[in-house]
Amino acid sequence: MNVTIDQWSVTYRVNDHALLALDEVGLRLVPGSITALVGESGSGKTTLGKSLMGLLPEYAQVKGHIKLDEQEMAGASEEGWNAVRWSEVAMLFQNGPANLNPVHRVLDQVAEPLIQHGRRSKAEATAEAEKALARMKIDSSQARRFPHELSGGEIQRTLLAMTLIMDPGVLILDEPTGALDAITKAFVSRIILDTRDQGTAVLLITHDLDLARNMADNVAMLYLGQVMETLPAKDLLTNPLHPYTLALGRSYPSMETLRDLGGIRGDAFYRITHRHSEKNGGVRPHTHVIGTEPSHENGHLHPKGCLFQPRCTQSIGPCCEKAVQLQDVGSHRVRCLRGGIAMQLELMQVSKRYGDFTALGTTDMTLQAGEIFCLVGETGSGKTTLGMIAAGTLSPDQGNRMLEGRDMDRWIRQDYRSLAGKIGVVYQNPAEAVSHRLSVFDIVAEPLKIQKRFREKGEMRQRVLRALTDVHLSTDTSFLGRYPHELNMGALQRVCIARALVSGPSMVVADEPTSSLDPSVQAKVLKMILDLQIEKGLTVLFITHDLGVARKIGDRMGVMLAGRLVEVGPTVRVMGRPAHPYTGLLIAGARGETIAAVKPPGGSNSRGCPFADRCERAREICFSRFPEMGGVEETRHLVRCHFPMG
Amino acid sequence: MHRDARRTLGGDPWFVTGAALALLLGLLVVAGPFFAVHDPHDMSFRPLSAPSTEHWLGTNDGGMDILSELLHGIRNTVVFGLVTGMIALVVGVLIGLVCAWFGGVTDHALMRFSDILLAVPSVMILILVAAFFRPSPLVLSLVLAGLSWPTTAKAIRAQALVVKKSVHVVAARQMGASGAYIITRHLMPELFPLYLIGFAAKARMAMFMEASLSFLGLFDPSRKSLGMMISYALKYYYLDIWWNWLIPPILCLTLLIMAVTFLAVSLEKVFDPRLKEAL
Amino acid sequence: MKHSQRNSRHRQYIVAYLLAALVMMYVSYSVPRWLPGDFVTAMYSSSHVTLNAEQEADLRAYYTQRQGFGRYLVDFFTLNWGYSYAFLTPISELIREALPWTLLLLGTAHLLSMVVGFLAGVEAAWRRGRVIEKAGVGSMTVLEGFPEIGTAVILLLVFALHLGWFPAAGGETAYVEQSFGRWALDVTHHLALPLLTLLLAYFPGNFLLTRGSMVMVLKEHFIETARAKGLPSLRIRYAHAARNALLPMVTRFGLRIAFMVTGALVVETIYAYPGLGTLLFNAIAMRDLPLIQGIVLLSSLMVLFVNLALEFVYGWIDPRVKHAS
Repeated sequence: MNVTIDQWSVTYRVNDHALLALDEVGLRLVPGSITALVGESGSGKTTLGKSLMGLLPEYAQVKGHIKLDEQEMAGASEEGWNAVRWSEVAMLFQNGPANLNPVHRVLDQVAEPLIQHGRRSKAEATAEAEKALARMKIDSSQARRFPHELSGGEIQRTLLAMTLIMDPGVLILDEPTGALDAITKAFVSRIILDTRDQGTAVLLITHDLDLARNMADNVAMLYLGQVMETLPAKDLLTNPLHPYTLALGRSYPSMETLRDLGGIRGDAFYRITHRHSEKNGGVRPHTHVIGTEPSHENGHLHPKGCLFQPRCTQSIGPCCEKAVQLQDVGSHRVRCLRGGIAMQLELMQVSKRYGDFTALGTTDMTLQAGEIFCLVGETGSGKTTLGMIAAGTLSPDQGNRMLEGRDMDRWIRQDYRSLAGKIGVVYQNPAEAVSHRLSVFDIVAEPLKIQKRFREKGEMRQRVLRALTDVHLSTDTSFLGRYPHELNMGALQRVCIARALVSGPSMVVADEPTSSLDPSVQAKVLKMILDLQIEKGLTVLFITHDLGVARKIGDRMGVMLAGRLVEVGPTVRVMGRPAHPYTGLLIAGARGETIAAVKPPGGSNSRGCPFADRCERAREICFSRFPEMGGVEETRHLVRCHFPMG
Repeated sequence: MHRDARRTLGGDPWFVTGAALALLLGLLVVAGPFFAVHDPHDMSFRPLSAPSTEHWLGTNDGGMDILSELLHGIRNTVVFGLVTGMIALVVGVLIGLVCAWFGGVTDHALMRFSDILLAVPSVMILILVAAFFRPSPLVLSLVLAGLSWPTTAKAIRAQALVVKKSVHVVAARQMGASGAYIITRHLMPELFPLYLIGFAAKARMAMFMEASLSFLGLFDPSRKSLGMMISYALKYYYLDIWWNWLIPPILCLTLLIMAVTFLAVSLEKVFDPRLKEAL
Repeated sequence: MKHSQRNSRHRQYIVAYLLAALVMMYVSYSVPRWLPGDFVTAMYSSSHVTLNAEQEADLRAYYTQRQGFGRYLVDFFTLNWGYSYAFLTPISELIREALPWTLLLLGTAHLLSMVVGFLAGVEAAWRRGRVIEKAGVGSMTVLEGFPEIGTAVILLLVFALHLGWFPAAGGETAYVEQSFGRWALDVTHHLALPLLTLLLAYFPGNFLLTRGSMVMVLKEHFIETARAKGLPSLRIRYAHAARNALLPMVTRFGLRIAFMVTGALVVETIYAYPGLGTLLFNAIAMRDLPLIQGIVLLSSLMVLFVNLALEFVYGWIDPRVKHAS
């Protein structure tokens, strides 16, 4: 059965409050496919599920269309709904055992719909129910028991049998595998897939990204009642286009991501309208912030513009002003003013030579807004060069650079200071990176002084103190007056990070920031960088030689060899299934495996692949021609190799 | 929760009405004697006389002033109810706490005992005792309290068990708090709503009992009571006394019991979270 | 639930109740022994009944007898309950005459108020929030606050004494021979007012309790599931919701039944209805202690029996059998 949900809005009206639960949501369910509806609490996913069964409470106001195979169900009467409930559309609710009547036998409850809809006699229905339960591995004696006598897994299977008993054309599942053990989970998943294969249209409501990715064909991301993105399930963790999808993927302890959990900054809110009378007697809809963030204007936000904006890492001015619609981007539909994840930095065909020495061969690199990109490689691989070019401090011989869509070179010429304010740089050796004549306060305040910003009285001081608090350093006057030689390396590096952040940059380039620190301190600083990145929505270019570090904090990573990027992709891919032999070597080495004696990197003047003479898989062509960048199965994983692995 | 409760209670029509009635009746109880210009036992007046400025409600068949009788009767009923309620409450709370706190054999024994008491129809025992021994009202009150504490005890015990397991009690114990400390500072405050509800219910039942028993003639005849007045007035229904002799005690009794019922209902509504939305 | 467990639980109940019954009978048996010496004189001197010397001696003997408890029990079960001095009739006969009337009145009252109260409560809860429901709840709460004495007297005054629609006393018109049909009608006519009084007294409680219980059950998740299954609303209301709401009502009924009995006694007295209540009232007025004893004991045992039966009913209704106590 086809289900079409079009412009569907649901508002709950209780007393003087109106809570907007769904806002013009559109969705299609197609027979023989599983659509996942992913959202957190308050997203409205349960409301949508209930809308498809006509189970919304009396105080819910609806608008829009819900069509079951051309039959309009919005506004249908209770009889109208009863005709389709369970026989055409069935729902498996959350709350497991609470969905069963404690005083009726399990078998009777499974048979009940058949009897009450007049499809079977009591005897027939009971027999069929028994068979259905047996298919769920519940034998006939168990079937005659009462709910409180069954285990959690048995109850879930019973509920599933009950939901499927009338062979509905549409199946809605609300968190079907929530509290289940792995084996029952697998069993239930199998049944769901089988049902899909038999032609049922399935709506899977969940917050479990793994489940969505593994079982669904398509995914719709729901946030505060609006669909933020619809995408093929396989792209869910590897190619999200909406900042929310990306952020949620980062927050979820999935088996597919390696990076430490992130979370999303800020808090969600409910869109509640109060009848607050204004001075002129009008009514103003307010959006209530429920959380600990400082709120705007007497505790109310104005819900113009994008709903995700307060928590988004790449919002720009217009994001607060204009309401955003869904746009088609490839096979996705995205609700973002910037058309999806924006590009923070784009380097195109940049290269740098120092005389004979090619520090950086012709290279492309892009950084997405709000991600951490780890650049790894051996010493001399060109990573620092690339990093400095990205930071704007080094000019490439050729090629273009774009920061936030603006041409960097032009920007540098016009107003370097404003560009500088947008990029923060952290260097490897903190002791060398600061002037020992300056106190902590001066060090951190320096960018502001140089860029002549925040000259208002006290504002500069405030920003400095904020920056120091962000890196968990003291703001005592005594500390502010300390000098570098009075601090340990860890603290000093943190001061440098504060300095990088004080002007409120959108991108941070960190060149081996923790390499000269003790491991315990390193861990703390790394964690802090991670937290800061989430809090402030920074884009971070993290240069390191340490694969372990890259693994822990990178969303994407790039491997550099002899001045060229030889592999780029999501960390989980590059580390899990490296395509380039060199990457494989690095990983093996990092793991401590003994590797065949490696010839140190030779001169990179040959025309072929610089790794050729060390590579096991090298052939003729590797020595004569340097490979081009090619995709590995997905477009997001790129490698420069004639014979990539995996 | 308490702040919230006060506001909810204040806005609840049942509570307001009940409280208003209770206040009014309380006034009568306290100030009664001052209005009862005549001694209710004084039989010197002309019997069955109609209401007049001397006797606002007239006199009964024994020549006693009805108004005075009424006022004294209200007072006796109310006092009986309050005393019984108080005693039943105290005993019930004590036993409930003891059971919940000590558990084990003590709990088991006391609960079996209260089960037996519950199975026994206390009303009958009361009638039996009243009929045979003609005790003073106080003794009867004690007997009634002694028979009706089980329900309170069970409720207190159930709630105390829940609180005992709650995290703040566990935390206090971890900190080294003694049993007495926990009972007084943690358990008893949590049980406060149950006290109110239990007291209201018991008092209501006791007042009802008092009226019924005095109606049946089981109290000392010289003790003025609403039930007794009704019983006597009923005998003379064929005379035109229904409106000054029969109705007033009925009215007062009704108002009294209604007041306590409303208070009990409203208290239950506010303090029982499960029923909160039910009413 | 395993049968052995259930049976042992049943046994526990039976034992507990038997124990209670024995206790009651023992109390009844030993009460006279606790009375002070010259009790008989003191008691009967102030009553309207005069005893001749023989009766007085008999009475004294009765109260000082050292009859064994066993003998007492035997007497009890052979319906040898002694002699009433006020009515000059064997007690068992008096009780046998009065009991059916009381059973008629109380039985009908409880049955009707339970059934109607239950149905009304279920339907009210289903229509929660509408005006009629709120009005119902409000008026029933007020009605609950009305003591039986009050309603009885008022009804008596209005319908019997003033309007004369119903008789003011008795269970049947006395000294009249009637055919069965007419007799039945006559009985009903006499039954009407006392029955109405009791109905008005019992109905609100049942109604409110059922309604409250239903409202809570309607919030449960399985009710939404039932709705989602497309079941007709009647079935959801009764087979699913009301069935679960029944449990608290049955428990509470058991707890309240003892208190209900007093109310019934009072009502009987007011209407001079020839049941146990009036009998008791007269017995008290005449200081007929053996009679009082007999009636009280019998009613208590009846209440105990009802409670015991309820325990079994409860177990049958709720397969989870959570002990209400």
